[in-house]
Amino acid sequence: MPTRPHLNLGSHLLSGLVAVALFAVLATVFLTASFGAPQGFGGAQVTPSIGYAMFDLSGGEIPSDSFLAAFEIIDLVLLAALAAAVMLARREADGKLIGIESIRTDGGRPRDTTSASDTDVETEPNAAADGDGDREGAN
Amino acid sequence: MAATSTAFAFEVAPAIAILPLASFVIALFAGKYLPKGGALAGIAATGGSLLLSLWIALTVAGGATYNEEIYSLVTTPNSFDLHFGLLLDPLSALMLVIVSLVSFLVHLFSLGYMNDEGERGLPRYYAGLGLFSFSMLAFVFADNLFMSFVFFELVGLCSWLLIGHWYREEAPPSAAKKAFLVTRFGDYFFLVGVVAIFATFGTTLFAGPESFPTLAEEALAGAGGGEAGGGAGELSTFGFGPGTWFTVLGFLVLGGVIGKSAQFPLHTWLPDAMEGPTPVSALIHAATMVAAGVYLVARMYGFYALSPTALAVIAFVGGFTALFAASMAVVKRDIKQVLAYSTISQYGYMMLGLGAGGYVAAVFHLMTHAFFKALLFLGAGAVIIAMHHRQDMWEMGGLKEKLPVTYYAFLAGSLALAGIFPFAGFWSKDEILYEALIHGLNDPLLLGGYLMGLTAIVFTGFYTFRMVLLTFHGEPRTHTARNPHSLGWSVKVPLVVLGVLATVIGLINMTPVAEATGLHIEYLHTWLEHGIPGLTVEHYDEVLETVAGYSAASLSPLLPAVLSLALALAGAGLAWALYSGPDPDHHTERLGDIRTLLMNNYYQDEYQVWIAETFGTGVARLSDRFDQSIVDGAVNGISEVSLLSGDRIRRIQTGIVSNYATLLTLGLVVLLLSVGLAGGWFL
Amino acid sequence: MVAVQFYLLLSAAIFCIGLFGILTRRNVLFFLMSVELMLNAANINLVAFSFQYGNLTGQVFSLFITALAAAEVAVGIGIMLVLYRNFGDVDVTKATTLRW
Repeated sequence: MPTRPHLNLGSHLLSGLVAVALFAVLATVFLTASFGAPQGFGGAQVTPSIGYAMFDLSGGEIPSDSFLAAFEIIDLVLLAALAAAVMLARREADGKLIGIESIRTDGGRPRDTTSASDTDVETEPNAAADGDGDREGAN
Repeated sequence: MAATSTAFAFEVAPAIAILPLASFVIALFAGKYLPKGGALAGIAATGGSLLLSLWIALTVAGGATYNEEIYSLVTTPNSFDLHFGLLLDPLSALMLVIVSLVSFLVHLFSLGYMNDEGERGLPRYYAGLGLFSFSMLAFVFADNLFMSFVFFELVGLCSWLLIGHWYREEAPPSAAKKAFLVTRFGDYFFLVGVVAIFATFGTTLFAGPESFPTLAEEALAGAGGGEAGGGAGELSTFGFGPGTWFTVLGFLVLGGVIGKSAQFPLHTWLPDAMEGPTPVSALIHAATMVAAGVYLVARMYGFYALSPTALAVIAFVGGFTALFAASMAVVKRDIKQVLAYSTISQYGYMMLGLGAGGYVAAVFHLMTHAFFKALLFLGAGAVIIAMHHRQDMWEMGGLKEKLPVTYYAFLAGSLALAGIFPFAGFWSKDEILYEALIHGLNDPLLLGGYLMGLTAIVFTGFYTFRMVLLTFHGEPRTHTARNPHSLGWSVKVPLVVLGVLATVIGLINMTPVAEATGLHIEYLHTWLEHGIPGLTVEHYDEVLETVAGYSAASLSPLLPAVLSLALALAGAGLAWALYSGPDPDHHTERLGDIRTLLMNNYYQDEYQVWIAETFGTGVARLSDRFDQSIVDGAVNGISEVSLLSGDRIRRIQTGIVSNYATLLTLGLVVLLLSVGLAGGWFL
Repeated sequence: MVAVQFYLLLSAAIFCIGLFGILTRRNVLFFLMSVELMLNAANINLVAFSFQYGNLTGQVFSLFITALAAAEVAVGIGIMLVLYRNFGDVDVTKATTLRW
């Protein structure tokens, strides 16, 4: 049992190379691009301006769009996410799921694989006799 | 006033064809609820067509013509359009009258032949007749080759339906299939010809300055004028000289004509087609299906006149067919078989006439033949009714006293067929032979056609009178012949009408008399002289002379006329000498092996079946292999590849989120790199 | 003043570190953390350009993104719980049934 972090190298890191490649491409593009000097905010107060912009109030010193509608929508989204998280996570007292029994996350295959193989064995007695032990091991 | 009535007549002209179509629909869907199984609708419709056709003919006689598009199917801006249109000129007006008259009389006769005999499937029968009349009438007034082809094929379909009317028996369905397949074989060439004419001229119009005969003529004139890129420069002749190419086109269309008009070697379907009801035979032989081929050549005669090779072949094939078929008719026992071979023979004469430059003569014979052959078939139908559907002439005999109306009508038709003065067939056949002779004196191929046509006259006279004598004269040879079934008015009326026509219709174009007396009594000639420019007799004669190089020897028509009459009388006299007794012998037995050969139709069927089996099966097997391996192989291969690649490619979908993320990132990197490289971000 | 390139470079570095985590880790908890990193890399960008153009919108947006990140984590942890219940693990490579 390792007692300290252990660097797990292996072939699973291979796909990470794609991320590195992406970085290489992005870095090349960014470094060869040229931008003008930044305008900056000229010493104006940033945080109060954000508050004004978010609630469509006048008084912000820095130009900005108005975000009241977006703010309300985000409100609703958070609420929905909360409800969804609760729904997904909830459990009844006896351990059964509520409300999502009908959601199948198994690709439509029989949920209980052991019972399915049992019926197979029943319909094919010869096969069962030949490779019973293998089947048990596979299942 | 006159102008408006003319315009109105042409306005309603499509109804000539539409009326039988309506009777087809009525008979098909309501026939079993109507009295007579829809016959009355058919009679009314064809009667209406006849009246309208007469009106059109009168209008055309007043000098008016009509050449209009009425319904456009497909229009492409720069190449060509497919449309239905009306071409009403003296030729089509004449043919409309013939077709609608014969069709009307056949409907009438069918009352006696089908209804009174208690046949089943009458609505189907009358629907077939209606569709048949519709197709033929529409074919006749078609203003372009495409429309002609469409209705040509419809005519073939209707013949299949009607020949196979008694489909529960063994022979009729087989005969119907044979008729359909053999004519279809010719129609393949016709179809290729239509497409080739489209490709060459960009139009298939028959008449007008933009029509393909006119364009072809201009092209030839341009080429003949020494200008390399003259008139022919506008037309693509696919690397051939314009003259050669037009001959090829003519031959392609001629394939359909030979199939439909039962010319050698595609004549074998026609005798078998006798399995159909006799009125249908009358309709097929006199006015509709078989006539369609000859009519087509006459319709585009301006085109054929440009090609002396095609004309000579037409003439030679026609002459050969005339003799060939007439020889087979000599030994037949079945009255309808004799008539069938006589039809082939007579259409051979028409082809000979057309090929020999006798446009008027051929149209004249087409008309007289329509009447006397319809008469003969309806007469044969009357005999068959009387004989309780026995058709063997050796079981008949002595019907003259029992069936006087039928006898005299049939006799008139027979005299016309044999070409005995002054019945219709004499004038028309004689004129054809005269044209063949005067042009043939300068052309050995035409002369050969003429000689064969001349020989065929003897045979025609012989088999015609053998038929008449065996059927009507002598002592009755069976019980049925002693007690024939009586005939109703619906049988007799058409016979009388056609009998009168067969007797007198020849008088409209008495060329020998006109030549001898100097009177202007060649009414048909005059009739075909006016009309749309480029579709007149004068124009055809001029083209024949200038382009095809036909020259007529100056010869009095009297001598050839006397010669052919003498030959016809010789044939008839031979038949009289052999079969006129009260109980004639089976003289054809004496022919021995020749009789066997003739009875077996020169083994034409056998060799065609052999060809079909040897080559057809081989080609079919090859096609099958092509279909199975290449066509199906390509289709199966595509599906196989899709299945296989789908099966492989789906392995990308591992279901592991990390892999998807990797792929997404990889895609983003590639996209950034490519966009960046293209946009110069890395400079 | 620091040029905006370096902010961008920093943001790209943080984003790619988050991405590296997502690509190499198998534990859902690490996934959630890595996503946080990536979101904050975006925030750095927004703030940097807000300063560059003298406009507050970017800064306000970064606040909203922080709120969204909270929502995302709430749902993410809920999903993680369901994952654990269904597969008995929080290893993302175990849940491979959402495919053909």
